[in-house]
Amino acid sequence: MSSLLDKARLMMNIHCLGRNLVTVSSSLHHVQLPAQKEAHFWYVLPDEIKDTNLLNQYFEILSPSEKESVFRMSGERLKKRAILARALVRTTLARYQINCQIDPKALKFKKNSYGKPEVDLQYTEDWNLPQLHFNISHTSSLIACGVTVGSPIGIDVEEKQRRLKNDVLAFARRYFSPDEIEMLTQIADPELRRLELIKLWTMKEAYVKAVGKGFSNSPFNTFTVRLGDHLKTSVDLRPRVMSKAHEITVEPPDDSKNISGNWQFVLLELYGSHYAAICIEQESTNRGKRSIPVNLMLRKTIPFVEDECIFGTDKAVVIGGLTTLLEC
Amino acid sequence: MASFTATSLSMIALASPSLVPSARISSPNSVSLSIKGRNFPSISLQPTGRRFQVTCAAKQETVQKVCDIVKKQLALPEGSSVTGESKFAALGADSLDTVEIVMGLEEEFGISVEEESAQSITTVQEAADMIDKLLQSKC
Repeated sequence: MSSLLDKARLMMNIHCLGRNLVTVSSSLHHVQLPAQKEAHFWYVLPDEIKDTNLLNQYFEILSPSEKESVFRMSGERLKKRAILARALVRTTLARYQINCQIDPKALKFKKNSYGKPEVDLQYTEDWNLPQLHFNISHTSSLIACGVTVGSPIGIDVEEKQRRLKNDVLAFARRYFSPDEIEMLTQIADPELRRLELIKLWTMKEAYVKAVGKGFSNSPFNTFTVRLGDHLKTSVDLRPRVMSKAHEITVEPPDDSKNISGNWQFVLLELYGSHYAAICIEQESTNRGKRSIPVNLMLRKTIPFVEDECIFGTDKAVVIGGLTTLLEC
Repeated sequence: MASFTATSLSMIALASPSLVPSARISSPNSVSLSIKGRNFPSISLQPTGRRFQVTCAAKQETVQKVCDIVKKQLALPEGSSVTGESKFAALGADSLDTVEIVMGLEEEFGISVEEESAQSITTVQEAADMIDKLLQSKC
């Protein structure tokens, strides 16, 4: 074990001293850690990434078991998606270095007892890695990674135009809570109802992923997510304005079975085509008081190539949750 | 008496020599008999303990139905290979697809799946096994 730490120490020193020797694969723009109550949301658009050399670079930073998983995916499109998802996680986390360059390839991951992926800090003590939490979600057209420090995070992204194979209400009756079914039933227009279901799904999924104990420990029909004034058909286009009408709550907030946290949500609409939900845990001292907004930084990225701060554009609109979008 | 078990064959061997069929055992499960110079076709011995499930769905049929439901849910192109070993995630299913697949299976087979079971299904075979188990309990 000590020889492993020695090796890690040696590797770190090589990276620190040998900056000149570092290849283009390490040209990741470094960023400050998220502060408390701050979440960073990074995403890639697979359709923008076509360069096979770049994809090979991404593939090379994956671990052997991640590479194996990629090979098990059926078809080129799914293989590419799997590569991008893992590369996004590794390159994103590697940006939050404290001392020296962190090689994305050197990051190790493990799963918690419920199967949620986490950074494995066991071999990286010497690197002074911060306590980063992350969660990923992917659709065929957008892959996202959310990052926080010191707070569990769950995210989910869905395409707005996603059609269910089942009837919307039948699906809701099977999986959602009574209050949510009631809310959906009251929406007359089938298209609006479908959109509302997709929003609910992303928020519920983000919550379960944030809690990190798996779908079966937090069955969807045991909790209700409410999106403030969901029946408003107009959307507030000024992302920095916080309105009580947009507050998202989850009930019961304190499921004594396994959840004792204070969860806060953000719901975004991206490019008018995707819903993205982010769920993070607030400090428990804040429970019961007026919610403090989540500070959110959005970045579109093509790892090793370019990053774009998403702020003050209609590419990303906050449609739910008390949120302050940050300039990068 | 066209069928023999291995034990009854050895008992016949001890009886009157002129009536003893001489048998060659080529493999444990297959025996060829010749009685008075006439050859009988070899007989396969049935493995003991096999249960014929006449009223419940046979496993292969279940797997096939699950494959069909998965293909439909994921809108896989015709000719896509989906077998018992296929993992839902490897076929591109996300969590929403998986719960829709479970709903489709519930409708198709008239069963009800617990949340805990739903989460543990990751392949076509696991889904088929779970379905057969649920169906057996109904027979």
